[in-house]
Amino acid sequence: MRQLSIMVDLDRCIGCKTCIVACRNHHEIIDHENDQPGAMANYLRVESKLEGTYPELREDYWVVMCQHCKKYPCAKACEYDAITKDPQTGIVLIDKEKCTGCGECIEKCPYNVIQFNKEDLYAHKCNLCYDRVTHGLDPVCVEVCLTGALSFGEKEVLLMQAEAKGKQVIKKMSTQSIIYVKKA
Amino acid sequence: MYQDGWIPTVCYQCKAECAILARVENGVVKEVKGNPRGRGKACVKGMAGITSLYSSERLKHPMKRVGERGSGKFERITWDEAMDIMETKLTELRDRGEAHKFTYSMFPHSVTDPKWRFVNAAGGFISTGLPHCDSGKIMAMMHTFGCFPNHHIAPMYHTVPKGGLMILSGRHPFGCLDDAAVPSYILDAKERGAKLIVIDPIYRTEASKADWWIPIKPGGDASLFLGVCNYLLLNDLHDKKFCDKWVREGDMDGLMAYIKDKTPEAMSKICEVPAEDIIKLAKMVAEAPSACIDAFKSIMYGNAMDWGQAWSIFLVITGNLDNPGGQPLPDIAPMAPVEPVPPAPDVTELGYHRSGNNREKFDNYNFFLQPTWYAAQAIKDDTLKVFFASECNPAMSEMGSGEWRKAVTMKDENGDYKLELLVVTEIMPSETMKWADLVLPDQTNFERWELLYMPWWYNFGHGTALCQPVVDPIGESRHANRVFIELGKRMFPEYFAFKDDVEYYDIELSGVGMSVKQLQENGGLWSPGTAGFRKYEDDGKFNTSSGKIELEWQMYEDIDQKWPSPELPLEYRRGEDEFPFILVNFRTIFLNNTGAWSQNNAQLRDPVSGLDANPCLLNPIDAKKLGVADGDTVTMASSTGSVEVPVMLTEKIIPGCAGIIHGFGQTMGKVASRGKWIGDNELIADAGSTLDEQDMRGGEAHVSTRVKIYK
Repeated sequence: MRQLSIMVDLDRCIGCKTCIVACRNHHEIIDHENDQPGAMANYLRVESKLEGTYPELREDYWVVMCQHCKKYPCAKACEYDAITKDPQTGIVLIDKEKCTGCGECIEKCPYNVIQFNKEDLYAHKCNLCYDRVTHGLDPVCVEVCLTGALSFGEKEVLLMQAEAKGKQVIKKMSTQSIIYVKKA
Repeated sequence: MYQDGWIPTVCYQCKAECAILARVENGVVKEVKGNPRGRGKACVKGMAGITSLYSSERLKHPMKRVGERGSGKFERITWDEAMDIMETKLTELRDRGEAHKFTYSMFPHSVTDPKWRFVNAAGGFISTGLPHCDSGKIMAMMHTFGCFPNHHIAPMYHTVPKGGLMILSGRHPFGCLDDAAVPSYILDAKERGAKLIVIDPIYRTEASKADWWIPIKPGGDASLFLGVCNYLLLNDLHDKKFCDKWVREGDMDGLMAYIKDKTPEAMSKICEVPAEDIIKLAKMVAEAPSACIDAFKSIMYGNAMDWGQAWSIFLVITGNLDNPGGQPLPDIAPMAPVEPVPPAPDVTELGYHRSGNNREKFDNYNFFLQPTWYAAQAIKDDTLKVFFASECNPAMSEMGSGEWRKAVTMKDENGDYKLELLVVTEIMPSETMKWADLVLPDQTNFERWELLYMPWWYNFGHGTALCQPVVDPIGESRHANRVFIELGKRMFPEYFAFKDDVEYYDIELSGVGMSVKQLQENGGLWSPGTAGFRKYEDDGKFNTSSGKIELEWQMYEDIDQKWPSPELPLEYRRGEDEFPFILVNFRTIFLNNTGAWSQNNAQLRDPVSGLDANPCLLNPIDAKKLGVADGDTVTMASSTGSVEVPVMLTEKIIPGCAGIIHGFGQTMGKVASRGKWIGDNELIADAGSTLDEQDMRGGEAHVSTRVKIYK
């Protein structure tokens, strides 16, 4: 299996959103001059879950980005072969030139992470920083993560690292190529 | 003009001023990240700084008010005209013997910030948000062990050993107000076996990562820790050796007599933390190799000096001063003075504006700045006639902001404004700008020079960082430092004989054998690389008049305050029947709550990447009693103000409290398109009009109040 991945450590994620803005800056999906709040593209989002009643509470935070699915429904929805899973990295990529802007992939994405550029009519999303990782760098979100909650590498290696650190994979959340872990 | 690549500079999306790298491509800033030679981190606000730089809303030229104050009507003027207006008014003030009626409200980036130099040369007072946030802590530590009055001396979390305790008592350091590296440092310490204990009436991210969350009644921190001290002292679990060596003779006996009745059971009745939990905490402290406390919101209440003294006593009896994992005692980098140094005004002779008609009561108040929120009272008293503001937002994010807005529009019998000139330097439109006579377009951290060494928050006074321009400035914007150096050259050439800001910083840096160029060539940073530990041992003394730690505050004997009161803040002890809820106002990482310069950042107001709403948080138990449902709009009213706001029900806040985020509700610019919201300060009285005992001693902040809530 060739699959690059990001591992999200829920013990360290504080939901600070630093990754979201750094990603926007790097991929230039923000118009700093004119973009209105509430109308900005984003390749990641923060989610959280609170459990319990006062004062016995527990809350986890994590980020959701393209999960680079094994069987990627976005590609199946695309009639124009604009979406492929790169055989060398396992990264799901959208070919902007082939994309017609029909929006079918956005409908079919179970993680609701595909963005749509209304001006130039094309779909776009996290490409695991293909431009960086193929030159030896971590994805931007991993590099800037405030707490070191994100790590990058081959999925199997990340799983080994998680085990070595005593972290348990949260299976429900980790059904695709992004891994979510927490202290056992 | 500027080079491409990753350029070291300093963030200024909040006061933490983290060392960053900015990636410049064809003269445009594209990305930001932490400077690895610094602590290597930049937070969401820092990342969003590029949006401040390039926003279409940047102010690009000086403007003069043409309508009434508050109308927001301006016309474009030249820089020469703006300089003339300021020079004429300040000269007139000086000629009539009222130079001290000029105040400049700012966040100094060093104790020799050029703007501060200008204020001293002009004979005015500096007024700043810096002391009031945690002045109770600063004053308490100055009284007790004579520390340097650095602003917010947080624990050095990277020094906490395995088993050490990190206690956050009303503090949210994941909000990155110290340094963007702090969240990581805390979690790293936890991974190596330190314990995180969060004492807070509201369950925030810090509590979610804590080993133990202790919900507490707001303002109960002093009583909780007095209960802990009681247990430690009465069970001989304190650091006797440290106390014997360093505490002033007689103070331990005084402390033992005072603490005797501050039992966990008695203190539990005040703070509402179970006595067994107070004892459990005391036992954990006794067994831990180190313990540190950080407090912020809790030290801004009306018992700030009591809490500050209890906190200091706790640190002393556990020996946690200037040790790894304890309370750092910072010192200052030995920068060279730029001679001749203009003398500061004589506050003994002139009095602070804040003291107003109560001047004689301020005998024991010895801090050297005054908070912005006394401006309203000073305008009413005719002791403040010219007000300049940079990097602060008194119309929205200061206590009693409503009273401030009212005061700046007050007129005398001739129909002239009592405040004769109000000047604001601003990067983008702000609330305060609406009331200004002159609006001067300021520069972002990407366009300006600045030398940071003190009171840079997580610096501990032992290093310096250079903020340098990485791109050309937008429009006619000028950095406030340059504006006031130029005005200084016109008005007081003897004190502004240096060429410009860069030469000013060069002279200062010569004190540590550095120059601006050398810093530029070396990652933008200089530091000896160590803050040092137990420096009092090297000195053989503490910086107090006795040279020892002074637990008993003898200067307050006449007001019977030699030892701390365990009681709740005064503002919570009155009006409970009419106003049953305590307002808990807190901070978030997505907003620089006090300054204007990130409040109108579109990325920080975007619902995905920032903070988009500020509802009133209520526990469902309270909501049921009030008959309020999630999403209902309610009125929150204090004795001085009222606002309408939607309710959000959450288990994360203790019953009896109403939570709201501090410093929110900008009505200017594109962020206002996200709906009308309010900030906490609309509910809080102008502190000048409610002078309490704490104000006399330096615990000057009143950031909370009681409220009632109804549909």
